Amino acid sequence: MTHIQDAAPERLVKSSGAQDGPGPLAVPAALKRRGRRENLAGLLFLSPWVVGLLLLTAGPMLASLYLAFTDYNLFDTPKWIGLQNFTDMFGDPRWQKSVRVTLQYVVIGTPLKLLLALGVALLLNQNRRGQAFYRAAFYAPSLIGASVSIAIVWRSLFSDDAVVDRAQQLFGMEAGGWISNPDMKIYSLVLLTVWQFGAPMVIFLAGLKQVPNELYEAAEVDGAGTWRRFWNITLPMISPVLFFNLLLETIHSFQVFGSAYILGGQGSSCGPADSVLVYTCYLYDQGFANGRMGFASAMAWLLLITVGLVTAVLFWSQKRWVHYEEGAR
Amino acid sequence: MGTTGSVDRRSLLKAAGASLATLGLTAAGCGSGSGSGGGTVTIRYAWWGADDRAKKINQTIALFEKKYPKIKVKTDFQPYADFWTKFQTQASGGNPPDVFQNAIGFLRKYNDKHVLLDLNAQVKAGNLSMDGFRAGLDAFGEVDGKLLGIPVGSNSMSLVIDKDAYRRAGITPKLGWTWDDYYAGLKKIHDGQHIAGDTGPMGIMYVYDLVLRQAGKAFFTEKDLGFTEADLTEWWNKGFEGVKSGIYADPKKVEQIKPKAGLSDGLSAGEFTWDNFSVRYTAEGKGNYGLAPIPSTDGKTTGQYLGSLMLSGSARTKHPKEVAQFINFMVHEPAVAKIMGYDRGVPSTTAQFDAFKPSDTVAQGISAYETQIATAGVLQTITPHPAGADTCEAAFLRIANDVSLGTSSVDKGVKQFFSEAKTALGT
Repeated sequence: MTHIQDAAPERLVKSSGAQDGPGPLAVPAALKRRGRRENLAGLLFLSPWVVGLLLLTAGPMLASLYLAFTDYNLFDTPKWIGLQNFTDMFGDPRWQKSVRVTLQYVVIGTPLKLLLALGVALLLNQNRRGQAFYRAAFYAPSLIGASVSIAIVWRSLFSDDAVVDRAQQLFGMEAGGWISNPDMKIYSLVLLTVWQFGAPMVIFLAGLKQVPNELYEAAEVDGAGTWRRFWNITLPMISPVLFFNLLLETIHSFQVFGSAYILGGQGSSCGPADSVLVYTCYLYDQGFANGRMGFASAMAWLLLITVGLVTAVLFWSQKRWVHYEEGAR
Repeated sequence: MGTTGSVDRRSLLKAAGASLATLGLTAAGCGSGSGSGGGTVTIRYAWWGADDRAKKINQTIALFEKKYPKIKVKTDFQPYADFWTKFQTQASGGNPPDVFQNAIGFLRKYNDKHVLLDLNAQVKAGNLSMDGFRAGLDAFGEVDGKLLGIPVGSNSMSLVIDKDAYRRAGITPKLGWTWDDYYAGLKKIHDGQHIAGDTGPMGIMYVYDLVLRQAGKAFFTEKDLGFTEADLTEWWNKGFEGVKSGIYADPKKVEQIKPKAGLSDGLSAGEFTWDNFSVRYTAEGKGNYGLAPIPSTDGKTTGQYLGSLMLSGSARTKHPKEVAQFINFMVHEPAVAKIMGYDRGVPSTTAQFDAFKPSDTVAQGISAYETQIATAGVLQTITPHPAGADTCEAAFLRIANDVSLGTSSVDKGVKQFFSEAKTALGT
């Protein structure tokens, strides 16, 4: 999302700049003045954003790039240590654990979420009565899902002897609450993200509405069944939307923090047994609780690079499975 | 913008003016908040704790402001871990609260970073009195000749027990009882009553510190850990055996019932904690709780000392005099003790100790417990922990939990702890 927001004002600057350039036709002086005035106004209105970008985003990012190669405890002057933060990281069992937990979360959570979103979107795409209500109802969890309060509710749902535990017992599973079980806790976190499938669902739904009905009609005439129609028409036709959703959700999943932090019981560093110690949780713990800001900066940059690489791989792979309509690309 | 209306200069200037004003307001809002205006001085005071502590503290502040109408106190509080995260960020940004609650594990850490105010000058200036402290507490906040923290209330490690469970098992813990007596007792309770004898001490740094002190060592020296990998391996092996045999509570269950304590939930018949925390059990559980002495190795030495929460000032405060007056009021004023009770431990000065006579049995128990260990002569002194001790304590608790849950072996856990401690202590 931020990419889109960030890109928009840049386009604005460019387009208004283009107006100002010497055109092939002579521009009357009055018009020129007016153009310049508008430019000035545009830039002035833009300035809070530019100042914010430079001071609050670009500046700190560059600073953290430098800090990634230093030993910095927030108080003393940063000491240049080269790549040591990175070598320390690879040898740190807790860091390794955080990578494993994050990968588990991304690899299980993202496909499940997209699958559910697509499934529900397919159901909601049918012409039934009260579809608007269902759409709103299925989207609702995504509106409140990212909040702290839901993570707290989730924590109590999955506690010992709470709703989920009782339901398990009905089926004869004496597993206990998931929150206290180091083996199960990550799944309660995964379920929390899967439950918030509303945003990709709405995008899928928009994609499904774009698929021309003639294609289905023609396929039906040729005797294609439901599955065949889905596989050979729906899926290729919505593959750009699927790609977009996959990209967005993957990037999102790598950055999960709030829900893991709350579910982990705050002070206890995403435990027990580091069971929901996602990458950003460990980063926060090292930077803000243990005061190892250099190490935390190195972790942040490695995450940025990793997410960048994953995005690049996804873009590269789309040639093989994403179908764009002629001229739509 | 652009195609239809034009923007005239006046509205442009207005817009610019408005945004500048907003920026200015934001900047003013970000200011430290401590300042003086019209002869009135405002100081910021922060502590960790929950709502009930906040209510009491606000009452004491009202008393203070009444006595010192020219000093206003702005308050802020969080739970323990969040408090220190926030404090570290504020202190590194050069904007810590003027006066704040402090503990032994943070004195050296923040002294090294030049965050703490040396209160000796204020004592000399007569703004802060160091007279009338109980049992050597006046020296508790001294590091390398600097006076960095003033104790507000003393506490000591204790064993809180379910008295009925102990009685049923026929065990009467007495001062001087040994670890062997303790372990035998736990087994008796477990065998006879099908509950764990203890919630499990293996991750509590302060309990292990006492065990080490009984052997002439300590958890921390001035700069480093005071024990070896072999020492810790022995302690955690013993702990893990206890978990397996059931004399310690199932760590999964302990995790599940949080924030409730294992003892008050009926999982166990006892647990180690600070004596002033024992108030929580009566509030949480149904049992008949009491304080038992710390088991010893030689039948005499418990390794105990009087610890205390402290009040410290910021080295960057613009109002050191007012900070000293505030601390002085909070530790000496009898009316403050009547409000605070034993919330932060047994009041550290005799004036406050005498002012509050507890009427409930729990608080009476705490008072009797501290009097008992003081008169028995088992109290030792403690060296302030090295910088990084707080990180070590958190790592100790977390890794011990991993070991007791069986997700990490004892050997691996010990190695992990020593590696993390090395990073934290910078050794």
